[in-house]
Amino acid sequence: MHQQTSETFDQNAREALADVQLRGALRNLATTFGGRRKEAIATVEDWEGLRDRARAAKDETLAHLDKYLEQFADNAERAGAQIHWGRDGAEACRIVLELIRARGASKVVKSKSMATEEIHLNHALEAEGLAPVETDLGEWIIQLAHETPSHIVVPAIHKSKRQIAELFAEKVGIEPTDDVAVLTGAARRILRRQFAEAEVGISGVNFGVAETGTILILENEGNARLTTSLPRTHIAVMGIEKVIPRFTDLDVFLKLLPRSGTGQRLTAYQSLITGTKRRPEDEGPEELHIVLMDNGRSRMLSHPVTRQSLACIRCGACLNACPVYQQVGGHAYGSVYPGPIGAVITPQLSGLKPAAQLPYASSLCGACREVCPVKIDIPELLLHLRAEVTEGTAAGTAAQHGPVKQRPLERFAFGLYARAWSSPTLYLLGARVARLLQGVVVRKGRIGKVGGLLAKLAPPLAAWTEWRDAPPLAPRTFREQWRDGQYREGN
Amino acid sequence: MSTEQRRNEEARREMFEAIRGHLAASAPHDAVRAAHHAAAAHGEDVSAREEKRATVVFEGTAVERFKQALEAVAGKCFVVRDEAAASEVLRRIAEQRDSQRVAVTDSKLAGRVLKLAALRSEVLENAAVESLFECDLGVTGARWGVAETGTLVIESDAERNRLASLVPAAHVALVEARNVRHTLGEVLQAINERGEGGLSRAITFITGPSRTSDIELTLAIGVHGPAELYVVVIEGEGNG
Repeated sequence: MHQQTSETFDQNAREALADVQLRGALRNLATTFGGRRKEAIATVEDWEGLRDRARAAKDETLAHLDKYLEQFADNAERAGAQIHWGRDGAEACRIVLELIRARGASKVVKSKSMATEEIHLNHALEAEGLAPVETDLGEWIIQLAHETPSHIVVPAIHKSKRQIAELFAEKVGIEPTDDVAVLTGAARRILRRQFAEAEVGISGVNFGVAETGTILILENEGNARLTTSLPRTHIAVMGIEKVIPRFTDLDVFLKLLPRSGTGQRLTAYQSLITGTKRRPEDEGPEELHIVLMDNGRSRMLSHPVTRQSLACIRCGACLNACPVYQQVGGHAYGSVYPGPIGAVITPQLSGLKPAAQLPYASSLCGACREVCPVKIDIPELLLHLRAEVTEGTAAGTAAQHGPVKQRPLERFAFGLYARAWSSPTLYLLGARVARLLQGVVVRKGRIGKVGGLLAKLAPPLAAWTEWRDAPPLAPRTFREQWRDGQYREGN
Repeated sequence: MSTEQRRNEEARREMFEAIRGHLAASAPHDAVRAAHHAAAAHGEDVSAREEKRATVVFEGTAVERFKQALEAVAGKCFVVRDEAAASEVLRRIAEQRDSQRVAVTDSKLAGRVLKLAALRSEVLENAAVESLFECDLGVTGARWGVAETGTLVIESDAERNRLASLVPAAHVALVEARNVRHTLGEVLQAINERGEGGLSRAITFITGPSRTSDIELTLAIGVHGPAELYVVVIEGEGNG
């Protein structure tokens, strides 16, 4: 399979559609997580009110991000954490690398962190001769397979049991088996040794509480707890948008995230870590380093429409609800963040040019907006980004990467459309002419596959009729029928 | 100041400048949106918005609710009268699992119950890390219980629990009934109402045994954390 990037989404999508095993896995994902989410929501009083409160908390934070970030950093430092600032991914990687080097460490374990995937941290560490071990089962599977995650919450969802068993047999030498418990047991045994010897643990952060300087990490497996309790040094990589104002705000987010993501009331474990241990004899790491990372996030603050992207709590609900994701899966997006949220933040983080197809990877059905726990209006964002693509403007987010290629033909076509539809005379005239001309392509009352010159003149018609018939224009318009009294009483 | 410190300071400054700059750039757009929303909300009757009520409602005590929620996530819950009864439960669990080596924290409650239980197994208090990996059962206390989710809250200031509750394949947690509250919100509030000392450095919320659905969304229990979680809720008055 060729290297799938966001620039080749169209091609990636076609390949994914032909992958029967993948589509089965995605169908399973949609029905399972969709159903569990519904059941979980039913256990909450006023789900809509919770969403509103969460969005309000995020809006408040983002509108004053400098203040809350500063408060978070100060409180974390007061409790013993060391704060590092990374303007972009490369700088964040360098900070982590230096921290490891300076401590003469080589044994590194990692718990699941989308932020570290975003900046390709493992790659950066491996390039310097380190071998960080992913400890989340799904992340470990894709690490062994040299792949990228295809889902925010279940990164190896695209792989079947069979494929995973074969992978384990090849890479870690166990007998191939269909038994999930056996496969999981093997992972537990092998990774435990890594935990026991680890010198540095790297994690992400789900929420950073400004009021107390606390970082919260959610999980189900226990690997994040091991990663953040056993090694001498804990490095937490945190996007600057992860800050929330108050400790009690956690109530709202902990009610929304697990239910939205996996349909659980709560994940098995939450670790709330505030600084370092009080006494040397206490359990836990000697040092806590929090790397606060921008990497394109501050730019998103510059417009209310794009600012809401930063409210995302990475639950994955939009992926599970999206009809596009459900058909093509995560790899087609060619980005660490797939699905609806990926379609809007990838262009903003990596630049509009390489990701110009992504805002179009949507039918604007709005399912994502319906399920988003923090009410991000993703369709609005998609349209905003599409406008940036077609206008080739560099407003706000695209400024760094220059305008996207202009589409003069498209602009002409829409200009024509706008003129014709704004004038009743032109519209009627156009309808009459089209009715006359369509006789060329209408067969047995339908317009089938359009080819040749017409296809070149009207690409949308050609694209539509490639897979389905188009209905012809009616013999008489409604206005004509109305004018002729067809709808008068008695007719 | 070292090079790294200088870099850090510079990065911090730049990041704050970027944040403030972009927020300022957004101000005119925010004003437009605010005006739109004000106009739109003018006609909207917010009070008429239908609130989706929970269809699953619980009647009963916090402890009953806790037990139901915990069992729904494959945890096991025993509600007992006093510490003696708790020790009985603990002994049964240890025997059923043929436990050889038990790790216990410095929780006073756990200490008392363990003593009463007089287990045959070797008991290690505040075991070193290497020994912990040899233990098959961990016994801890718990500071709070959250009834609506079946969650235990263990605080590092109260006991050295982080590894005893995580490394051995089974975990027994002892909690007093009076510390089991109905909602997560109540418990978060209680945790936050700390005195001078501030929050415990490590607070762990535990809801059932360790699990994953990473392989074909098939549930597997017991990945990196304990595969079995037993919570013993003690109703009598304890000394904490």
